[in-house]
Amino acid sequence: MEGVRKNPYIPELAEIVEIRDEAPNIKTFRIRFRDRALQESFRFTPGQFVELTVFGYGEAPFSISSSPLERDFFELTIRKMGTVTRALFRLGPGGVVGVRGPFGRGWPIEKMKGENVLIIGGGIGIAPLRPLVEYIIANRNDFGDVILLYGARTPKDIVYKKELERWKEHIDVRLTVDIGDKTWRGRTGVVTVLLDDVDVNPKETYSVQCGPPIMIHFVVKKLVEMGFPDDRILFSLERLMKCGMGFCGHCMIGGKFVCKDGPVFDYSEVKTLLEPAV
Amino acid sequence: MVITKDGFTELVGRLLEDYQVIAPVERNGQVLFSLVSNPHEVCMEYKGTTLLPPKRFFFPEKEILFTYEMLDGDVKIYDKYEEVKGIRRVIVGMRPCDIQSLNVLDKVFIGEYHDPYYAARREGTVIIGLTCNEPDDYCFCVFTGSGPTVSEGYDLLLTDLGEAYLVEIGSERGERIVKLNLDLFRKATDADVQERDRILKRAESKMREQKLPDLTKMYEPLVELFYADLWREYGRRCVACGKCNFTCPTCRCFNVYDDPNLDLKSGKRVRVWDSCHFLSFTRVASGEIFRKERHSRVKQRIYHKYCYSIDEIGMISCVGCGRCVKVCSAGIDIREVAVEVMKAWRE
Repeated sequence: MEGVRKNPYIPELAEIVEIRDEAPNIKTFRIRFRDRALQESFRFTPGQFVELTVFGYGEAPFSISSSPLERDFFELTIRKMGTVTRALFRLGPGGVVGVRGPFGRGWPIEKMKGENVLIIGGGIGIAPLRPLVEYIIANRNDFGDVILLYGARTPKDIVYKKELERWKEHIDVRLTVDIGDKTWRGRTGVVTVLLDDVDVNPKETYSVQCGPPIMIHFVVKKLVEMGFPDDRILFSLERLMKCGMGFCGHCMIGGKFVCKDGPVFDYSEVKTLLEPAV
Repeated sequence: MVITKDGFTELVGRLLEDYQVIAPVERNGQVLFSLVSNPHEVCMEYKGTTLLPPKRFFFPEKEILFTYEMLDGDVKIYDKYEEVKGIRRVIVGMRPCDIQSLNVLDKVFIGEYHDPYYAARREGTVIIGLTCNEPDDYCFCVFTGSGPTVSEGYDLLLTDLGEAYLVEIGSERGERIVKLNLDLFRKATDADVQERDRILKRAESKMREQKLPDLTKMYEPLVELFYADLWREYGRRCVACGKCNFTCPTCRCFNVYDDPNLDLKSGKRVRVWDSCHFLSFTRVASGEIFRKERHSRVKQRIYHKYCYSIDEIGMISCVGCGRCVKVCSAGIDIREVAVEVMKAWRE
């Protein structure tokens, strides 16, 4: 089969079909592969990522943020940050991009079935959690209590405002913002403040989180204090993932590659790594 | 088999009819690997290693992965793999350390994922190795288990017996080359084999005088010494120039970027060697840098070579060529690092 093996560096062409504003500098891009058969056969596990190309500007890794049950397209929720994202924000619907992937290991959904799930997101870190939430809601009876704690900088920075309203009908959603405004009636403070009111049995609960490194650091600490076993503390790590295949070396932590061994790890795994990961 | 040196020159001449030939040549007093067109250019009598490893013929310092062209809302991609597939080359005079570096890179690039550019060059290149009869002051391959001879990764392996080369056959492809040129070879005698063993033994003894620890067994000591003070001192000395990475035959980290043409409608995707010593190496879009302190970057190279590689590919990724020692601007000697680690560990 040597001759027909695909070159894993060549992106597949895809089209931006819709762009939604989520928050200042954050948009969700709905994307569809040009090749219909490819779009229909595209499958991913919540928590996996793709490498997105904006031709002429390069490639960057983004977690897939749409439901894994959606067959007609997939979505990426992206914050304008660097070269690739700035160029992407200039593209409109109809814009052509390149996609490689999906890559990496996502959330261990099968293990989480029959258990409570405590989901913790910070800022744009909610993006890789959305496919998990959508999966859980679509299979609500397979899971126990599900709580989503979400923290954003200000009320304006809350991503997925509409989705959060819908999710509230199925799971327990609690929000906080670092800095409130006149309209804000909810909690203020970093996301760890929400953990104080969470009453779950840590031995029957998986905690799942994504956010800035500083958030993960403190949330892990708190979860350990609450009695969560290390292998029930799950997080998605951010590193520079250039190739997605464990070649380029940028995303190494200890002997592991975030791109192919992660980006989802549990705390017991990263504790054995020499380099501090969280 | 045995081939005289004249016979070998004749063999290279014949290979040039069917293959591109890469060989060590002398340029401005340095020996380095280059494409040759004349068998007399080939310099098989170099001491130790070439200044730069032949890695670049398998994994070039800069390589176009594909080019693209945007036309009316469409994009065309031209895969540069098309230009490397079917490559047919011979590389002669490659030392065991450099052959072992290919065994390392094979495990990285032709494993769970398949790097087609590397694989095409590797599969399309006949390796005619040359054991090390005269290591230089920087060589320490006996301590990494990768010299002065090597057991796999070559098609033919020569040992310089003085007037002739003893030839070991390492693959069917190597055997075919011998069969097609049988007139140039004779059967090796017991005396030839003994002479090879004597020469290799001599090279080995010379390197053994350095009395280094077994570098394949550094895993445990390194695990225990991750937070040891000695790294801070190396961090202070290192100037983060990346020369150790760029002269290393097993360093494979790379960056990828787009290089647009002036029309801004076409361009190329390029990959270029990168260095774990650079501050930017772990920088993500948010600005966060995961190895900010220089000693953490010094450690990354050492730990990847002797520790992480064992987890990654089941073997260390230092081949003992000594090039990083030779080129280091700060005089950091990985051999001294190893000795110091073992000393600190025993204490």
